[in-house]
Amino acid sequence: MSAPAAPSPLLLLDGIDEPGLRTLEVYERRGGYESLRRALAMTPEEVLAQLQASELRGRGGAGFGMGTKISFLPKGSMDKYLVCNADESEPGTFKDRELMQKTPHLLLEGIVIAAYAGGISCSFIYIRGEYVQQADVLDVALAEARSAGYLGDDILGSGHSLSLVVHRGAGAYICGEETGLLDSLEGKRGNPRLKPPFPANQGLYKGPTLINNVETLCTVPAIIRMGGEEYAKLGVERSTGTKVVSVSGHVCRPGNYEVELGIPSREIIYGLAGGPPDGRAVKCWFPGGSSSPVLTDADLDIPYDFDSLAKAGTMLGSGAIIVVDDSTPILDVAMKVARFYRHESCGKCTPCREGTNWTVKMLERIDAGEATPMDLEIMASVQEHIIGNCLCVLGDAMAMPIGSMIAKFRDEFEAHIEAARSRTEAA
Amino acid sequence: MPRPQPRTITFTIDGREVRTHENKMLVDAAKDGDVEIPVFCYEPKLGQPVGACRMCLVEIEGIPKLQTGCSTPVKDGMVVHTQSERVKIAQRSVVEFLLINHPLDCPVCDKGGECPLQDITFGWGGGISRFIEPKRHFVKPLELSPLIAIDRERCIVCYRCVRFSQEVAEDYQLVLLERGAHSYVSTFDGHPYVAPFSGNIIELCPVGALTSRPYRFRARPWDVEDAGTVCTLCPAQCNVTLTVRDELALRVLARDNAEVDDGWLCDKGRFAYQSFHVEERVTAPLIRDGGQLREVSWERALQEAAAGLARAGADTGALAGPGSTNEEGYLLGRLMREGLRSPHVASRRAGRLPLELHRALGDPPLQATVSDLEFAHAVLVLDADPVNDAPILDLRLRKGVRRRGVKLAVASPQPGSLDSIAALSVRFAPGAGPAFAAALSAALAGEESIERLAGDAGAEPDAVRELAALLLAAGADGAPSSDDQGVRATSEVVILWGERLAAGPNGVLGVSALLGIAESLAMAAADGGGLLEVPAFSNGRGLREAGVLPNAGPGLCRLGGEAGDGADREVAGEIASQDSSPRDAHAIAEGLAAGEMSGLYLLHCDPLRELPGRELWERALAGASTVVAHASFLTEGIREHADVVFPAEAYAEKEGTIVHPDGRLQRLRTAIARPGNVRAEWQVLAELARRIGLELDLPSGAAVSRLLFDAVPFYAGLSLEEIGGSGVRWQEREAASSFPRASIELAEHGEIELAEPPEDAAELARYGSMWDTPEVEFSPALEFLFPHSELVG
Amino acid sequence: MTAVRRFEGGSRVPGWDEAVDLEKDPAEVPDPATTPVPEGLREEIESHMADYPDPRSATLPALEAAQRVHGWCSPEALEQVACVMGLTPADLESVASFYDMLETVPVGAHSVYVCTNISCSLRGADELYEQIRAAAAGDPDLNVRSFECLGACDIAPMASVDGVYVGPLTGADIPRMLGEIRGGEPVLVDKQLLRRAVADPRAGAEPPPETATEQGQG
Repeated sequence: MSAPAAPSPLLLLDGIDEPGLRTLEVYERRGGYESLRRALAMTPEEVLAQLQASELRGRGGAGFGMGTKISFLPKGSMDKYLVCNADESEPGTFKDRELMQKTPHLLLEGIVIAAYAGGISCSFIYIRGEYVQQADVLDVALAEARSAGYLGDDILGSGHSLSLVVHRGAGAYICGEETGLLDSLEGKRGNPRLKPPFPANQGLYKGPTLINNVETLCTVPAIIRMGGEEYAKLGVERSTGTKVVSVSGHVCRPGNYEVELGIPSREIIYGLAGGPPDGRAVKCWFPGGSSSPVLTDADLDIPYDFDSLAKAGTMLGSGAIIVVDDSTPILDVAMKVARFYRHESCGKCTPCREGTNWTVKMLERIDAGEATPMDLEIMASVQEHIIGNCLCVLGDAMAMPIGSMIAKFRDEFEAHIEAARSRTEAA
Repeated sequence: MPRPQPRTITFTIDGREVRTHENKMLVDAAKDGDVEIPVFCYEPKLGQPVGACRMCLVEIEGIPKLQTGCSTPVKDGMVVHTQSERVKIAQRSVVEFLLINHPLDCPVCDKGGECPLQDITFGWGGGISRFIEPKRHFVKPLELSPLIAIDRERCIVCYRCVRFSQEVAEDYQLVLLERGAHSYVSTFDGHPYVAPFSGNIIELCPVGALTSRPYRFRARPWDVEDAGTVCTLCPAQCNVTLTVRDELALRVLARDNAEVDDGWLCDKGRFAYQSFHVEERVTAPLIRDGGQLREVSWERALQEAAAGLARAGADTGALAGPGSTNEEGYLLGRLMREGLRSPHVASRRAGRLPLELHRALGDPPLQATVSDLEFAHAVLVLDADPVNDAPILDLRLRKGVRRRGVKLAVASPQPGSLDSIAALSVRFAPGAGPAFAAALSAALAGEESIERLAGDAGAEPDAVRELAALLLAAGADGAPSSDDQGVRATSEVVILWGERLAAGPNGVLGVSALLGIAESLAMAAADGGGLLEVPAFSNGRGLREAGVLPNAGPGLCRLGGEAGDGADREVAGEIASQDSSPRDAHAIAEGLAAGEMSGLYLLHCDPLRELPGRELWERALAGASTVVAHASFLTEGIREHADVVFPAEAYAEKEGTIVHPDGRLQRLRTAIARPGNVRAEWQVLAELARRIGLELDLPSGAAVSRLLFDAVPFYAGLSLEEIGGSGVRWQEREAASSFPRASIELAEHGEIELAEPPEDAAELARYGSMWDTPEVEFSPALEFLFPHSELVG
Repeated sequence: MTAVRRFEGGSRVPGWDEAVDLEKDPAEVPDPATTPVPEGLREEIESHMADYPDPRSATLPALEAAQRVHGWCSPEALEQVACVMGLTPADLESVASFYDMLETVPVGAHSVYVCTNISCSLRGADELYEQIRAAAAGDPDLNVRSFECLGACDIAPMASVDGVYVGPLTGADIPRMLGEIRGGEPVLVDKQLLRRAVADPRAGAEPPPETATEQGQG
């Protein structure tokens, strides 16, 4: 697979810092809500066909085809729901925050179009509670859109209606998991549900529910504007379009960059984000948030797209690259990751609740000089016992990166164990 | 609501082809092939599976990831492996994870020996522990309620107890707090978990985290025997297993019967076993001597009783109260009618109904079952308060609403616990149940008279109309039938009504109206609908069918002297009362108070406690020259007025049969020895009959049952073996065709004239809660409930 | 990093070691007659309940509102929400204790969430957090907490001060930050996230010419 030749267009970040873009006036001046008008002139089936033709894959983490997801909704007149997943909590990810804060109407427009395609009349934005300012921006935009007739009853005279509520979370990573999000939105603890039933059949309030990430929905107006087939020409096969990548950690210019999928990862880390500070080298990097198995400097030329990263044993995830340079001990990275998932485990299923807890305890023991190399084997085996055995993906989200760190940095772990032991014995 | 009709399919598990029902969850389907898939969190009674413990992971061909057997419905042709290396590793790892923080205190744990965690660790665990970090240590055990202790170290966070609180009992008092590895089971702000069904969580707990405080450290599983019987402490008659050690009942567990209790018990049923073994219990015959009751020999007591009863002769009245068996009731009837020639036999709190109405109410096609409450389109709870009358039915109603979308309507004088889940709650004036039923009947028939009748009932006419509309629409949104019967034939409506509807001067009218409602809704034609009465006394239905009524003998047969039809048998013995009209409970009291009667036989009944009209009963008891009672406790009426007291058996000591409100005959089996000088009460009744001159050849308790089955035409051919452990509904047997059909004509609604309610109408309609009984009062563990029994309502 | 903690004879989770008080009544749905609820709070909760097809969905906004009134999700606050929503307080406590932003113990009025997740930590967040904690020690009005990823790794290391994101922070910012919080002033205005441009250099304020044309066509 080769990298796209022409410079990629900016579909999402284009002019995003234009003053006042968050107001309806400026957004409309820049052609906002034109895609909605165009979509409403089509039948819902035609809109869906455009989305399917775009081959847009979900930008939240799982990478499931957006059009396919809508097509899974049962037909008929039952109450169906759209939930925009704005619980952006994957460590290293901050793209949705930038989009919501700066161009909220783009999201609203995407939601209305997607709801139209899915025959949905009730929608929610589940935004993480920490994003106070972004939620306030959305509330203002929502009121503007409503009074302009873009939301509410009989939108622009189309006969299509849509209600929308901005629902603020209260701080729980697991609510980014779609079924945990649904329970949370129903006012309960954000425990993930067993699947099946899948949300498309039985989701919010037991009704068919479409759940999409902010960025995915923000892409919808562009697809309607360009046409699905045109959009699909961007990026590479099975990873079409552009993607906002959040780059953080040991890079000179951390931040959001919109890239065409399929460009070499090196180009993002070094070309756009400036790479690690002078004199430092990339030790490892998470290509898709802290849940993705780590890659090393040897992997920098892997094209940044869904399939290439999967082939390399990791994932594109939420599109958040975290770079760790060679000044940081791998144990510190593992400890941060494991403690995070222990803190965020909902506690519902055994392997995740106990496995994350045990892993942290083992890492603490290594650091305290109370471990032997055998413990490394146990820790690796515990990760294997978590993977694939949990109710949702949170357990795997710890076990896969930790497992990859043990596999790729075994020598360093062993050296750390030895060093800590001799330090303890000396003391 | 039609019950699902499962299709039979074939699937393969561990190389074996197994036939089972489609869509059964794999863990259940596996059992059909004798394969056990271990589980902790799975418990179908708690609702949808949650897949939390991950113990039941299995491999299904064609699916890359291991799947939870608890949540995967079996399909035709599915190929499942539970013994593959992948599955074994997953099972071992889940056990290892669970044991990480589980303490090694099995030697002092109550659950030891009957612990699923022990069993599964032994069966599926890896046998070694790689966890060398220190385990958690916390203060334990802690009180969770007066009945339950919690040991949080042992908890494996399976969610069973909190799901029970939230999805079965719906009290939402027991919850998980915090999250992840910090999650723990608790209540709000240090409040105890006190709710009518709280004890079920002990039985649900798969480890020793929730234990019964009264049972803690009383026995090990290898010290005890199990004895199955039926709880008679309320009309619901839940099936129970007693844990018996050294002839003492130490614990009561549920014995799951889907047609009776669905595997749950109320806290009274679970803990009132303590009242079997308390000092307050009467364990020897007593006679009144110098104003005081004192212990005497059986010979002396029987002699006194026989002499007193013989003196009173036909002027004796008899009342059978809660928990009396069919056999006892039957013998009491014969003792009275044949031995003493007295027709004054009663067992109903609400008073007398014409025989034709008893027969109409008992009409087999009109009978609903307990499980109909769960599958009906709509259920009307009419003048009943399940959580206080027959608690376990409260859970069944909740299940129907929550899981099957039953439309629940409540019509009652007071707000109750079901209002919050009811689609419609309608209020009427206390004691105005009959008027309300008449108004509803009129509304269903679309008649004008509803305004007047609703006014008499103190109910809103519009609310009555709304209720009628709800009942008429039941099932209409399902699959409407196209035949002539229209929606009616497919709609299944159950009316759960309390005996108090038949109380007071308008009781007859109330029951007639109920029958009118049933007719309007074509209940007799619907498979899953009908009437279900909550009698005031446990085994009220059985006592009636055994002939403990002033106007009917066994099998609701007409009594001698009255005109009979072909189905009737005449009761032997000539009634020789001066007052030819047989008296009900109220009339017996009046007769005693007025000096027209002199003897009173109280079978498990303290009128001051269990019957309305306290003032009248005080005079009646004072006026009686002979009062013979069977009692377990010296409650006020017995203590002050009985001349002879025979010690009554606790239900766990009895043998015999009882009849569930839906017609299910259930068998009581002796589980523990009778304490002290307690004798089998059927023997006492038979001996007393002999002394009065009625010789009954009764070599055993089973012989009494045989007599009863012969005497009741619609029980014909029954045997104790057939009743077995889970009972049998007589309506489902061939002999049901012998049930005497009623011939009644219901009055036009416009002609209905209600009697002016008496001043004590409200009291007549008020029942003592079943939480307010001697068994609760004298069980130390339940004492905390007694003074505030309204709390649990 | 610290040595392994041993948990002998005590819990670090509040509640694990606590028994119930058998003298208390069971905690059922509070009776409106005996549970006074501040009028403003009641109205806010009821308006949230009206927003959803199922009013139960309003628990998070309702708890957030009660926390604003009471300072934390105190038993009294939970009872008030329970009363308005017709739920048991246990049900609400279960929810409240699940979420990081709902406080189940009393805390200071001003929250300072310091992100110590990986991206911030790689840029010095752990040391920063310790410094802020030390500087805020003893001030009962400050609720300084280390927090999981707050979604602002572009300004790492960062903190959220009463919902306002500020960063990148250095030790030198701390005295001014705390001073502004205590003084009720806008906090670190120059370091607020809202003022920051997107990193992608091509996404400037002015759209590139070719996209402008495309939009004009659209």
